[in-house]
Parts: sequence; structure tokens; C-alpha cells
Amino acid sequence: MKKIASILSFLCLIALCFVFVSCSQQEKDPDRVVLWHWMNDRHEALETLAARYQKETGVKVKIDLFSPPHAYTQRITATAQTRDLPDIFGILDKKEIFAAYIKNGFVADLTEEYKKDNAAWEKSLFTKALDVNRFAEDNIYGVKPGVYGVPLDVTNIQIIYNKRLLKKAGISRPPETFDEFLEATKALNRVGVAGLVSGWGEMWLIESFALNYAFNIMGEEKVMATFRGQVPYTDPDWIKVFEIFDTLSEQGALVDGIVIKQNKIAEQDFALERAAFAFNGSWCVNVYHGMNADLEYGVILPPPVNPDRPMKIWGGSGSSLVVNKASPSKDKAIAFLRWLTAKDQQAYLSQETKNLPANKDALSEIPQILSDFAGVMDHTTHPTLWKYNELAKVASEFNKAIQSIIVGDLTPQEAAAKVQSIKMAEMEKEKRRQQRRER
Amino acid sequence: MAINKYRAMKVSKGFSIHLLLGLVAFTCIFPLFWMLRCSFMTLETVFTDKSIIPTAFHFGNFIKVLTEEKFGIYFMNSVIYTASVVSAIVIIASLAAYSFSRLRFPGKNFFFYMFVAAMMIPLPGSFVPLYVLINKLNLVNTRIGYILCMTNVGLSMSILLLKTFFDKMNTDLEDAARIDGCGKLGIWWHVALPLARPAIAVIVIFNALNVWNEFILAQLLLTDTRLMPLQKALMEFQGAHSVDYPVLMAGLTLAAMPIILLYLAMQKHIVKGFSYGATAG
Repeated sequence: MKKIASILSFLCLIALCFVFVSCSQQEKDPDRVVLWHWMNDRHEALETLAARYQKETGVKVKIDLFSPPHAYTQRITATAQTRDLPDIFGILDKKEIFAAYIKNGFVADLTEEYKKDNAAWEKSLFTKALDVNRFAEDNIYGVKPGVYGVPLDVTNIQIIYNKRLLKKAGISRPPETFDEFLEATKALNRVGVAGLVSGWGEMWLIESFALNYAFNIMGEEKVMATFRGQVPYTDPDWIKVFEIFDTLSEQGALVDGIVIKQNKIAEQDFALERAAFAFNGSWCVNVYHGMNADLEYGVILPPPVNPDRPMKIWGGSGSSLVVNKASPSKDKAIAFLRWLTAKDQQAYLSQETKNLPANKDALSEIPQILSDFAGVMDHTTHPTLWKYNELAKVASEFNKAIQSIIVGDLTPQEAAAKVQSIKMAEMEKEKRRQQRRER
Repeated sequence: MAINKYRAMKVSKGFSIHLLLGLVAFTCIFPLFWMLRCSFMTLETVFTDKSIIPTAFHFGNFIKVLTEEKFGIYFMNSVIYTASVVSAIVIIASLAAYSFSRLRFPGKNFFFYMFVAAMMIPLPGSFVPLYVLINKLNLVNTRIGYILCMTNVGLSMSILLLKTFFDKMNTDLEDAARIDGCGKLGIWWHVALPLARPAIAVIVIFNALNVWNEFILAQLLLTDTRLMPLQKALMEFQGAHSVDYPVLMAGLTLAAMPIILLYLAMQKHIVKGFSYGATAG
């Protein structure tokens, strides 16, 4: 014990000496731009680009990584309170929180910057990516209309297919309609290959898939009318949406246990060729590359049920950055972000990190699979962009009802009736809350 | 016959206890074993090789971790933080606990319960106020700022543990020391601290583990990568959507080593500390 105590005491003494001689004070240099981000996989590429930018312009950009995202959010919240935010940062939260940062003067309005040079910067980026950072004329948050962020990359969720397994099942081309998709899964089952895998144990993925088809079957207006309570879930069009899952389950098109699968596990299943189709986001390119670099796959929009209406998928801005309104280096920060989202830098970022570029012009410079993913950005939509969203409890019950259909606990009609009853109850509660507020 | 029945009961009881303890030990050791196993695999085999012992040992992950530019810096930082915080906690907590146990001063109980109440506040709940405080003291992005916060985090539990220990400690030795001319600090140093070795061992291991594994507060208070602890390096092995599991496991294995060694070195005292706590209560 004495020996251990003396070793520990010696270590402590050295440590304390080190602490006092190496206290590092916070440096504040107006000629330097500081960027805080949370993206582990993009850190090295961003540092390389920052070094390149310094070489070209003489402006030093310091890239600091804080991860995981929840630790990053804590840091942003704390530094906002002490008004110590860096020149460039990201807000990883709901639009409501984004709006609060704007209203408190932490985020610069970039609308005028986007309009410069005949809106060259704005035109170079995917509109859907900008929309996530845009506050419309009549936004409910009370924020001055404008664009407040810069998208670094985009993302979307589609159907990915394994080329080798499709060939094994004698399928010459990926399915273009829902019926063809069902036929393809039957052919795959015949050669012992599972059909569709996805992380449907996670509600957002199941919701995304269901609403893709709701938009395809009845159109955006009717979906929004349902959220407003003007169309019931027992409407024949909604029954059709529920029936999709019943059909998929009945015909063996889904892998076993899909409703309890986390997306990480579903990604393993597809990467290790345990299933021929996956419903997953564009980030999967990075994931699959790590798990099985030899995997041959392609991407398609979810095969439509209604060929007369275009298929809509969830997507938009992947990661966005904002500029600190109070930063003394604000102009330099904006100039750097403009440079970072230019074609060459976006292509480099995409090649290095396997994320989809936010710049449309960069598509010609990136791997085919990424280009295929990004090529359908015009088809994307996202709940954050909709005027109305479903009440949280109803959305949750909707997803659970779909899981119940898949496991055979509910029929599509029963599921629709159950969701509608929850909707009625929640609307009644909302109405009472509204009346109380008015009183 | 009666003896055989008695022996049979004894053997079966012993067997049941050992079986239960074996199962508990297995659940504790298996994750560590799995971590070690995965650290010797490649990114391809980690998902496909189902064998308990890897069919081929791949040492590249350890080389990759050890040659990672900042791993050494992060490791040293963690050693510095752990040693500083633990020594500060042992000194402050033992002084405070001894005072709460032996001295009479106004507001003694109030201050003690204040320390105990601080244990109820979860660490994430105090992040923002801590940051604001450290920022006002101009200690953001300094080692001393982080060490002060982590010391504060570990004090409550340590004071409570040591006070309980001192309360149950016989006062005869202290009286003898007083007769020999020892002052209050002398008694604390020459009598109370040596006797409290088992409790101090528990405090050392608990707090060392806490500081060694902490990274969220470090991410909040530190900006400079040269000041970040080891856990930051482990976070860097994880991508936003993909994780290099074998490299991460190799990093985790290396990160777990010092704590395992510390535990093994102090094991005897820790067991004594726990059993003393049980009987003292």
C-alpha cells in the first residue's frame, strides 16, 4: 500500500505541475474564423478544405469537432447563454429552437447574401436543402422571412437493391411499380433470399415509408387535410395505405422481425446480403462501404402504387451551418461557407465522406451511386416543410398500427378505425385546451 | 447417514452459490471478453465471423489506435485529469468529512446536508450553470477549469462515505495522539487518514472511473484538442452513420487497461472498504 501510495502521490504531483504550467486561455482572433461542428466523419475533410482555403485566401479557419451530437447541442446551448458562440455553428434541433436562436440574435440572416450576383449562390444549391433553413412569409414562429442557414449536404430515403441477388433470382431490372416489386420479392423468396429489410423498429422509418405512399395514393393536399382533421383515417385512400403493409406482410415481401429491427441491424442485413431490398437513407452508402466494400447495389424510388402521381420521398438538408450574427468575422465566415458550398469543394466533400453534395453542379463529379441518390432531390419532402403535422400521439399510434398490421394483430380496417378514434380523442383534447387558453 | 445428508446439503448450497456467482461474474466479464475479441477482427470479419475466438488475429487495430496522432496526447490528458481530480477529492473530502464528523461548528448539519443534496442533481442538469460559472471565472478551455468541475462532481459522495467511516471510528487513538501533542490537522494526517485507507481506496476507484470515462463535460468546457481526454479519441472512431467497430474496440481495450490495473492494485482495500461500510451501517 505504501508503495502504491507513493507512486500515486508522485503521479499526482506531476499532474498538478502539468495543470498549472499548461493552462490554455481562450484565444479570440478577429482575423480567424472558428467553426464548431459535430460530424466525426467529415472532420478530416473539413480540415483539409480549411487548409486549402487558407492557402487560397489567407484566412485561417479553425475547425473544432464536438461529438456526439447531444454533447455538441449542450455546448451550443451553454455558449449561447454566455454569448460565446463561434463564428460558424450548427443547430441540431427542431425548427422551433432554430427560430428561438434567430429571434435572440444568434443567427445571421443570409437572404441578401444568397441574392448577390443574380442569386448565383442560391441557384447552385438544391432548393429542398435551402428550404430547411428558410422561414416563409407566414411562418408560425414569428421569424422575419428569409434564409438563415447554409446546407452542407443533402440526404433522402429510398429503396436500395442488391444487383447480385436480383440477378440470382432472374430479375433483369429493378421494379418500377408496386406490383412488380411484389413479383420481385416472390422470385427472390423462391431462391431463398429475403425481400425488403428496414429499421421499422424505429418509428420514423415506418412513418416515412407510409407517408411516401399516402402522398402517392391521395396527394399532399388530402394528407394535410387529414392532419387538419378534415379527412378521417377510415377514408378508402388511407385504407389503401394500410393495405400496402398487409400485402407486403401477407406475400412474404418483408424480412422476419422487421418491426423490431433497429436501422443499424437492418443495414447489416442488407450489407451482408441477407436481403435484396432495403428502405434506407443516403447515408447508407457510407455504412455499406464500411461493412462490405464489394457490395453491388443500386437505388430506386419506392415503386409507386398510383403511377399517375409522382412518388414523394423524405429528404432535404442533411447538415446545415449558420453564421453567428454577432461575430466580428461575420463576413469572413459567410465567404468561407460560400466557398465551402461551391462545386469543387462539394465534390471533394462528397467523394471523401460519401454524403450527397448540397451543390447541384457537383453531381457530375461524384460516384454514380451518390449521383443516383441526389438525382431525385426534386422528389423530396419533409415534415419540417409541411404546413401541418400530425399530432404526436396520433402519429405514434399510426406507426404502431402499421406494426400491428405487419405482425397480423390488426386488419387494415381495424388499424384505420383505431387511429381515427385516437385522432378524434386528441382533437377533442386540443379543442378543450384551445378553449381554456381563450378563456 | 445424517452426516451424509448434512454434507449433501452443504455441497448443494455451495454449488448453488457458486453457480449464481459464476453467472454474475460471466455477465460482467463477457462484455469485456467480447470487446477484446472484436478488437482482433477486421471490419469484414466482425460482422461475419460468429466464432467465440476469432479465426484469425488481426493486430492492425491496436497499431492504428496507437499510431493515431492524438491518442497519446488524449491518454496523457486523461492520466493528468484522473490523478489531479482524485487527489483533490481525497484531500478535500477527507478534510471535510473529518470536520463534519469530529468538529462542532454552527451550521454543521446544514452544510453536510447541502453536500448530500448535491448528489441528487444529475450531472447533465448542471452543465449550463457550470459552463456559465467557469466562463465567468475565465477558466473555459483550461485544464484547471475542468479539474475543478470534476472535483466538485465527486465530492458529495466521497464526503458522505468518509463521514460515515469517521463516525464509526474509535476515538481512543485520536485521544492518544492529542496527548502526544498532535493538533487537529496532525490527528487527521497521522491517525484518521491511515485508518480510513479502505474507504479512501473505494473513493479513489469510484472517482478514477468517473473521471476516466467522462467526456461530455470535457466537450463542454474544453475546445483545444490538446486538452481533451481519452474518451474524445474513442468518439472520433465513430462516424455519424458508420462505426469502425474493431478499431473502436481496440481503443476501448486500451482505455480500459489502466482502470482494470488500478482496480486490481487496490482490490484488497476496496473489498475491505465495502465490508466495513456494511458492518458499520
